[in-house]
Amino acid sequence: MIETKTEQIISVSNVTKRFGAHIALDNVSLEIPKGKIFGLLGPNGAGKTTLIRMLTGITAPDEGTIEFHLKHSSSSIGYLPEERGLYRKMKVWEQAIYLTRLKGLSDSEARHHLQVWFSKMNMNDWKNKPVESLSKGMQQRLQFVITVASNPDILILDEPFSGFDPINAEQLKNEILKLHSEGKTIILSTHNMSSVEELCSIVGLINKGQVILNDSLVEIKNKFRKSIFEIVFDGSQVAFANSIGFQFEILNIKNDNGFLIATIKSHDKVSPNQLLAALLQTVSIKSFREVLPSMNDIFIDLVGQQTEKITE
Amino acid sequence: MRNILLIIRREYLSRVRKRSFIIMSLLGPIIMACVGIASVYLSIDEAEDQRVLVVDENYPLFATIESSELIQYVISDADLDEALATFETSEYTALLHINKNYYKTHSGQLYFKKQPSFRVQRAIERTIQLKGEEFKLSEFNISESDYRRIKQPFEMQAFQYDSVSKTAEEADMLPAVVGIVFSILIYMFIFMYSVQVMRGVIEEKTSRIVEVMISTVKPFHLMLGKIVGIAAVGLTQFMIWITLSFTLLGIGQYALLSQYDSASVFENATMTDQMQKDMSEEMQDKTIKYSSEDNILASISKVNFPLMIGLFLFYFLGGYLLYSAMMAAVGSAVDNDTDTQQFIVPITFPLILGYIASFILFSNPNSPIGFWLSIIPFTSPIVMLVRIPFNNVEIWELALSMSLLVIAFIGMVWLAAKVYRTGILMYGKKPTLREMIKWIKY
Repeated sequence: MIETKTEQIISVSNVTKRFGAHIALDNVSLEIPKGKIFGLLGPNGAGKTTLIRMLTGITAPDEGTIEFHLKHSSSSIGYLPEERGLYRKMKVWEQAIYLTRLKGLSDSEARHHLQVWFSKMNMNDWKNKPVESLSKGMQQRLQFVITVASNPDILILDEPFSGFDPINAEQLKNEILKLHSEGKTIILSTHNMSSVEELCSIVGLINKGQVILNDSLVEIKNKFRKSIFEIVFDGSQVAFANSIGFQFEILNIKNDNGFLIATIKSHDKVSPNQLLAALLQTVSIKSFREVLPSMNDIFIDLVGQQTEKITE
Repeated sequence: MRNILLIIRREYLSRVRKRSFIIMSLLGPIIMACVGIASVYLSIDEAEDQRVLVVDENYPLFATIESSELIQYVISDADLDEALATFETSEYTALLHINKNYYKTHSGQLYFKKQPSFRVQRAIERTIQLKGEEFKLSEFNISESDYRRIKQPFEMQAFQYDSVSKTAEEADMLPAVVGIVFSILIYMFIFMYSVQVMRGVIEEKTSRIVEVMISTVKPFHLMLGKIVGIAAVGLTQFMIWITLSFTLLGIGQYALLSQYDSASVFENATMTDQMQKDMSEEMQDKTIKYSSEDNILASISKVNFPLMIGLFLFYFLGGYLLYSAMMAAVGSAVDNDTDTQQFIVPITFPLILGYIASFILFSNPNSPIGFWLSIIPFTSPIVMLVRIPFNNVEIWELALSMSLLVIAFIGMVWLAAKVYRTGILMYGKKPTLREMIKWIKY
């Protein structure tokens, strides 16, 4: 589906997973390119967690294969689950060392890497506190640090922003972008569509155990564009309506500080140039842009359609 | 393997450092030592001097009773009611009334201010009895030495005959007591520590750390690391208890010995044994000297401690592994402590059965139920140690019991790992036993 020459880091081929009679994943195939931020999307119960658990090796597929194109072993995956926790009675630093060492790092390596992250995230004061004394946001930060401290090649972050205040969420977003620039492959599973648009370059959408969309964000937006334009102009509404003719339908028009903002939809494939040429003769154009669908709209469209089909 | 060791280390250290562990480790032996010291101390306390006023209705039959170091007798021909009236304010600790017509009644009553020990009471009885005999001997013109020679008690010792080695081993109660103490300890340790495994699994599940853990380590390693780590905690606690108890007992005895004459303390400390002998042989004889301390030392030397401790460690670990594997499976299946009840009851049933059976076997070591319960792996860790000191366990029985236990715990750990693997990722509903069995097949 993806027509790029980028190297793949994970290849999921025809994977099926059943729990009793329930099919959680049905013949799923996905390619996850190296060094990209991959958005794994889907409604609740779509099978995202099942797929992530198979990527992390927690469960195995019933059919199909998952291939890692890695130099090292699978221990170079950092996983931040959606339902995440820590040993409540353990001290922060002790726990961070323990979990990092389980990733295969030596004691001194673990200390070194963690110290870098603790300083970066301003967590040095917490080291000797028991985890249970930290606030939820602090625990989330600690969990993130533990996930990335072992320096894994692949990061799987399941709803990483939940529980964060806007400031911390922004810091986390910046850290994710930094990790991306360092060449890490990041799989981001979230319901927060604006963060998908900000961070991800490739998206895979799962619904009812099947991949219903897998493409780059740009391609997806292109594919789902509906030829809707937004024009800000100065002039008469009637003249505007006359000049766009029957090929366009006015969806909305409103007055904003003396200017008029019109949203129109093309019925045919009229090029923006033709439209502009017609408009320029009657009204004064202040701005003109094509309205691309948001991931939110696409998500609702696709998942909604499938749900309707079922209910029919 | 590296990760299992890391897990064992965490499980061990996080528990050993807990305040509750330290308190339990210290309090256990202190309580044990206190009980030990108190019993020694109480026996010393009982040894205080007695001044007994003897109101003899047969006066002057007993007028020549000799006082002993411990008990001083004052003979009187006073009226009982009169003597009793002044007894309260008198210097006497006890008042002995000997009934009229001694040679028909052979009875009397002892009134006391503070209850004298059983031993003191026996000593008084014996003094009166011997004095009574003395008069009769002279009446029938029998010399005392002749009489003593005639009146020899029949001594019977019980032996366990071993047809293979053609040797006989004296049966004794003390090794059996050691056996049942070890068996109770195993029961306690299995119970305490297998429940800790369950709690640990539930804690990991409810705190949701488990998903991070099993993305890094195999669930089987996580479970095994926890079980082994907690076993190490149990063994540590056992060692601390044993070492501290003996140290405290030693200190306690030393402190007491420095206050009292050492010989009398020892005699008092071993009095229980003496009392049994006194009771069983009413016609106690002065010339037969029972040295109870010899008996106890002999009995202790008959306990095969290396074998008992070796078997204790084997059966504790075997039983613990068997039960903690089941507990780990239960812990993985539920979301909280309250849901565990329905599973714990059937699991601990054989454990409790074994506990009850060990008391039955203690009094009736050849009960046929003992054979089966000491072979079946669910009860053998508790029951076998009670049977061993009676020397009625054949080598093949022990071998069968031990190998069945090993097979059982390996099988149970394997089964539990399968339930655990699925269970730790299941949230929300409480599973039924049938569902848990289905998980084994996943």
